[in-house]
Order: sequence, then C-alpha cells, then structure tokens
Amino acid sequence: MLFDLGSISERVAERYDVITVGGGPSALAAAIYARRMGLSILVTEKAIEGGQLNLTTTIDNYPGFSNIRGEELAAKMKDHARQLGAEFLNGVVTKIEKHDEYHTIMLQDGKAILANVILLAMGANPKKLNVPGEKEFTARGVSYCATCDGYFFKDKHVMVIGGGDTAMNEALHLSRIAKSVTVVHRRDKLRAVKALQDKVFSNDAISFEWNSIVDRFEGSSQLEFVVLKNVKTGEKKRVKTDGVFVAIGLSPNSDIVRNIVKTDENGYILTDENMETSVPRIYAIGDARKKSLRQIVTAVADGALAIANAFEKYFA
Amino acid sequence: MPLLGEKDANYLRKTFSEQLLSNVKLLVFVDDPSVCEYCDPTQQILEELAELGEKIETTVYNVKTDKATAGMYKVEMTPAIVILNDSGKDTGIRFYGIPSGHEFSSLIQDIIMVSSGNVSFFNEDLSKKIRSINTPVKIRVFVTPSCPYCPKAVIEAHGAAILNEHITAEMIEANEFPELSMKYGVSSVPHTVINERHSFVGAYPETAFVSELFKALGGM
Ligand SMILES: Cc1cc2nc3c(=O)[nH]c(=O)nc-3n(C[C@H](O)[C@H](O)[C@H](O)COP(=O)(O)OP(=O)(O)OC[C@H]3O[C@@H](n4cnc5c(N)ncnc54)[C@H](O)[C@@H]3O)c2cc1C
Repeated sequence: MLFDLGSISERVAERYDVITVGGGPSALAAAIYARRMGLSILVTEKAIEGGQLNLTTTIDNYPGFSNIRGEELAAKMKDHARQLGAEFLNGVVTKIEKHDEYHTIMLQDGKAILANVILLAMGANPKKLNVPGEKEFTARGVSYCATCDGYFFKDKHVMVIGGGDTAMNEALHLSRIAKSVTVVHRRDKLRAVKALQDKVFSNDAISFEWNSIVDRFEGSSQLEFVVLKNVKTGEKKRVKTDGVFVAIGLSPNSDIVRNIVKTDENGYILTDENMETSVPRIYAIGDARKKSLRQIVTAVADGALAIANAFEKYFA
Repeated sequence: MPLLGEKDANYLRKTFSEQLLSNVKLLVFVDDPSVCEYCDPTQQILEELAELGEKIETTVYNVKTDKATAGMYKVEMTPAIVILNDSGKDTGIRFYGIPSGHEFSSLIQDIIMVSSGNVSFFNEDLSKKIRSINTPVKIRVFVTPSCPYCPKAVIEAHGAAILNEHITAEMIEANEFPELSMKYGVSSVPHTVINERHSFVGAYPETAFVSELFKALGGM
C-alpha cells in the first residue's frame, strides 16, 4: 500500500533563482540539475508532482526500470529532487509577467513570486473527440483516464478510442478489470510500438473496430451507446457499451502563456535547441514544447538542457 | 513493520514540527477486521502519525463497543476518521475509507490546516462567502487512491468545513463503498455531491468550487 505525501504546501520565499510552472518529470529533472548547480528552485504544481506519470499504470521504456508503476516513478523523482533541496508549492499559476532581469509568476490566490528564470513545464492533456454527446457523458461513461476511472468498469464492456501507445496501454490495463475491451481506431493498423501491438493482439479480452471513428455518444443519464462510423464505407452502427476511454493524443497546456511566448498553430511552445523560448529567461520543457517525441526520457532531458543553458547564460 | 518509510517519516516529523501550532485530535472508528478490510491499516497509519507529531493525538474507537461516541459524531461507515481541533471541537472533516495513495496528502494537509487555523487557498473574498452560509451543508467527495486530481477536491471541501461549522465534508473512498458509489452514479472521480442533490465531477478551481456550493444551496 502506498502513502503518497503529494504536494503538501510548504512555506515559500518571495524570490527564487528558478521557478517551474508544472511539476511533471521535466520539472523534477530540472530541479535536480538546478540544485546540483547551487540554484534555488521552486516547483509549482496544481495537482500532483509527476504529472502524467500518475495517469500511467506501468512504464517499461524508461532506462533503468524495466517495469515500474507510474506513481512509483513519480514519487522517486520527487523524492530525489526534494532530497537535494528543491522546494515545492501546491497551487495554480494563472499568469506570468515578464520583465527584463526577472519574471513574476502569479498564483490563483493572488500571490506573486519572482524568479530569474522561469521554466514552462505545464505538459499536455488528453485531446477531446469533439463529437455530440461527449461533453454530456463525460464522467457518465466517457473518461480520459483509465488509471483513474478503470475500476468503475469492473466486469463491464468498455471501448478505447485511439491506436497509439497510450491507447494500447489503457486497453491492456482495462483488460485486467473489464469483461471486454474494444479498441476503435480510425486506420487499419495501429500506431503503437511493436511490443505493445504484440501484447494487445495476443490478449483475448481485446477486440478491434478498424477504420472507425466515433460519430456520437448516446444514453439517458449514463452513456449507453456509441455510434461508430466506418471511414471507408461511411456506414454507421450503434454499439452498446458501458464506458469509453478516449486516448487520441494530447493538446498542450499553454493557454496561460500564449500571449507571451511564441507557439505553433497547435499551441506547442517554440524553443531553441537550449529550450529557451522567444522571451529571454523563459524556457519551455517537456510535453508543452514543440518536439518530435513526447516521453519521459525526452522530458527529463529537456529539463537538464534548460538548466545547463540558463546557468551559463544568467547565473555564471 | 511501519507503513511509512523512513524517508517519509523524517520528512513528516520535520513538517509537523515546523508547521503545527495547536493540537489536533484524530478519532479513528474501526470495526472487526472480518467486516472491515481497511480498518487495521487505517488505525496503524494514524498511530504512526501521532508518533511523528507531538501535537497530534490519535484515539481509536470500535464502532461496536463505543457506540455512543460513534453516534455522537454520526459515523456511518468504517474505517472513519474525524478531526477535532485544539479545543475538542469537531471540524466537520470526515474520511470514510483508508486515506492511502494520493489521499494521504489530503489527510496531512488537513492536519496542517486545522492546527495552523489557516485555509490559505481560499482568498478573503471566498472565505467570507463560505463563512456566510448558515444552513447545514453536507459535502461528499468520492475518490480513489490512484486519482491524482482527487486531493484537490477533498481539500477544498475539508477547507470549507474548517471555515464554517455548518459544513461537514466527507472523503469517501469509492472502492471500499461500492454500493454508495453506485447509488450516486459515480463513474469518474473526484465526484462531489452536495446536500444529496447537487453534484459535479472534477477538481474545480476555488472560485468555481464556491459557486457550486452556492448553486447547491439554491443560488444564494
Ligand atoms: C496514460 C499515459 C501513459 C504514458 N506512458 C508513457 C510511457 O510508458 N513512457 C514514457 O516515456 N512516457 C509515457 N507517457 C508520456 C509521459 O508521461 C509524458 O511525456 C511526460 O509526463 C511529460 O512530462 P512533462 O514534464 O512535460 O509534464 P506532465 O507530465 O504533462 O505534467 C505537467 C504538470 O504541470 C501541471 N500544470 C499544468 N498547468 C499548470 C499551472 N498553470 N500551474 C501549476 N501546475 C500546472 C499539471 O498539473 C501536471 O502535473 C504517458 C502518458 C500518459 C497520459
């Protein structure tokens, strides 16, 4: 049984060398590097340190850990940063104000904290399907987190929408809880890595609806049916289901900085090779940044690179 | 074997000695292990907390033999935790089910809030609104230990209870009370139910939480 200390609010100073907005793996890696270089660092986090790691059942591609629970890796990373003297604050950053020699983060409770360097590490969130009924049945059968909500579908029939690594991981996790799992994918083959494909194809509880997209969700008070549309034939069919887990990709949490730093058309923050954004002293790391692979290894690498560069440029 | 590792224990010892101002009383209500799987570990973890903080006092009651006390605090299910402040007054905070996983942090934050008398995440305006409520309110927050967003919803509800004696706020571990969860149609957590009739899903920002609270009371 795990007892997680989470982000117990500690007392914080008024100014730090570095502040991270978000407390996912990229921020925790940055905290480790910053402390070892002697910089003070505050990690702000609105939910729980470790970010998306907490939504992941098992991770089997992070070097050194052939199979580790997401929560556990999150706790280890936080512990590591904490031991080196990183500070933590539980709160939502609502705004960033830029200045020349420093920047300010504003918290929801009105508090302002200064930093010489800010690291944007807000990560990303699951994308919505944007189909009729989705909003209405969210939390009434439609979910975006199998780790959080999977249990409520014990011995029931569920669907997973998507064909990537995250979708297959969710399908495998649900196959141990639910009676049956149907994967709905808009193409005729999966995007997930081979190791995961082998696992889902050999799992008797998992079946597939190829070339299909969700047309709408239907039900009374709870979700009861999904209308699927075949993209090849245009044919629609109404399928009974107890729950649907959506895993079709991510969208970046960059709303609070879109008017400050440059982003691409999807909202991913643009940086140079040292992770610095269009604004000096503001860096972006992890999934919120425009990059080609959004994983833990790349997130932690971003954190290290940003601190190394910031140290050279602004503290040396 | 202690449930808390040495590192966490040391961290808590330090946090408690720095941040606890007045005494906090934790009442744990348990039943026989044969009918309450999580009663033993709940009792144990609270006893470990009392060891780590001088200002924390844990008292264990058996709902069968200490019926009067259980009745006084309207304890309906086990394991249950009730938190009293320095003067022995009921804060209105309840935990039903074990506060493990991410919910452990809710319990620790509750202890700090009650002891320091400071619910800092509600600003003055929101605190004033919460204090203005003068009818009984019961907030039930359904959670699972693996849900990373749940502590926020729990802490907001518990914070409101600390600010206003008319408010009782319960954390309910959905896995341990499946019938109750089913009754309220819980299929995603955190799932908050206010006064039986108003419900919402998700961890809301403080302002939105307070407006839900008022919606539940018929838009005061
Ligand atoms: C189900 C699932 C399975 C995955 N499996 C794997 C895997 O097996 N291997 C792998 O390498 N990767 C995996 N990933 C991807 C990996 O988790 C991410 O790449 C990684 O977590 C990104 O880290 P990050 O630092 O960018 O931040 P995130 O993990 O996205 O965390 C960002 C944090 O910032 C916080 N935040 C956002 N806005 C604010 C604000 N305004 N104020 C305060 N805090 C804020 C959020 O609450 C969040 O905790 C998986 C992801 C998911 C969802």
